[in-house]
Amino acid sequence: MKKSIDIILKIIAPVLLIIIWQVSGSLGVLNEHILPAPSVLVQAFIKLIQNGKLITNLLISLSRVFKGYLLGALIGIILGTIMGISRGINRVLSSLVSIFRPIPMIAWIPLLILGLGIGEESKVAVILIGSLWPVLLNTISGILSVDNKLLEVAKTLEKNKINILVNVILPSAWPSIFTGLRLGISTAWTCVVAAEMVAASSGIGYMITYARELSQPEVVLVGVFSIGFIGLIIDALIGTLQKRILRWSYINNRDR
Amino acid sequence: MVANNEVHFNNVEKVFPLDGEYLEVLDRINLDIHPGEFVSIVGNSGCGKSTLLKMLVGLDNPTKGEIKVGDRVVDSPKSDVGIVFQEARLFPWLTIEKNIEFGIEKNVSKENRKNIIRNAIELVGLLGFEKAYPAQLSGGMQQRAAIARALVGKPDVLLLDEPFGALDAFTRISMQNEVLKIWEKEKRTMILVTHDIDEAIFLSDRIVILSERPGRIKEIISVNLERPRDRSREEFLHIRKKILTSFIGNTGLDLEYYI
Repeated sequence: MKKSIDIILKIIAPVLLIIIWQVSGSLGVLNEHILPAPSVLVQAFIKLIQNGKLITNLLISLSRVFKGYLLGALIGIILGTIMGISRGINRVLSSLVSIFRPIPMIAWIPLLILGLGIGEESKVAVILIGSLWPVLLNTISGILSVDNKLLEVAKTLEKNKINILVNVILPSAWPSIFTGLRLGISTAWTCVVAAEMVAASSGIGYMITYARELSQPEVVLVGVFSIGFIGLIIDALIGTLQKRILRWSYINNRDR
Repeated sequence: MVANNEVHFNNVEKVFPLDGEYLEVLDRINLDIHPGEFVSIVGNSGCGKSTLLKMLVGLDNPTKGEIKVGDRVVDSPKSDVGIVFQEARLFPWLTIEKNIEFGIEKNVSKENRKNIIRNAIELVGLLGFEKAYPAQLSGGMQQRAAIARALVGKPDVLLLDEPFGALDAFTRISMQNEVLKIWEKEKRTMILVTHDIDEAIFLSDRIVILSERPGRIKEIISVNLERPRDRSREEFLHIRKKILTSFIGNTGLDLEYYI
């Protein structure tokens, strides 16, 4: 009972928005060349599915995200671990991190296009940079937050450094690393669209920009909403993965 | 026990730097503990009894003097000395079984590991909780798992740093019985730091009383009573009185008042 009320409360706002939107569209209140009614969008969506354009472009964008994110996350975790463990390396690199991190990823796009062209490499590089920061910073803080009391236990059991890293430091950093991974994937998804809108010949961002040039607002909107939808799915997937892998931390929260 | 694992404290002193000054924590500690002996160290809070254990396990070093286990001078942690802390300090991401397995040395075969874990779990009475996570267990059960983890490392000397201090009175008594059982079965040297006098008398061969800061050995009391000891027997109470006298000294107040 409580659950169904919960669901109703959650979907009431979007449903109302669609109804108002549709009604004002039919009444001619909205300019259909800018904001076509939902019914038009549904038609455009079906058409884009049928001719395969939406799926193809989404898949292209997703594969770029996949490559860039995988590299960015990997570098972030490795570098973050090293910086978390070694005070010296952390001191040397932290100033670099503080300078580069606040630069919006979009600002890198022109340089990356100059260096790598408008092909795949520049997109992947943009995504790599975008997803690197959240993973890196959260990994560092996760590694630093390891409980000294647990480290003492491992030391008294005469475990070597690698054993301590793998079995004590990394597991206790995992919840924090996962937060970084989750933030990173949503940044990566934002990055790919931005990069494709600046310069590309395929991908969902390209589809949107191209539709604007052809004055097809319904295609633009279908593209925009699919970006949101895919982002939602990706986040849900990572969330499920997190719950599965970090089962222990949810047990602690439930019982305490 | 063939191995020579006698514990020696030779003129051990510990000084901590504190705000530019020096805080003397332990002063000229000389103590020999025989293999298989159960020794308790009691004293007021802050008298350095936990520091003593920390140095013996190798997590800290004496400022002066040396600590030896057998022929080894202790300067870093080694698996011949194990420790159970006041908090269970289990790894929250591992099941009880895996937590205990962490204590086993790496050159042990897989088949042996299984046996060692099963025996340890049985010894500390945690059968049926192998797959549970630490957060699902009570404080007493977590401490049992911590004891098992320390035991599977096969230390010659097991240190217990106020291991039952955070437990309620009933759980504490049952844990004391448990430790006694383990000590009698495993025949390892055990050194217990506690501020529970009854606990010390119930378990120990000898009780070392430390003075207030800087901690010095004030008195060593031998407990020559048959185990398991009855906490209400006259001899038990007599030793209790002796320890309290040593603590309170000549305040002029009647000791009966404290007891």
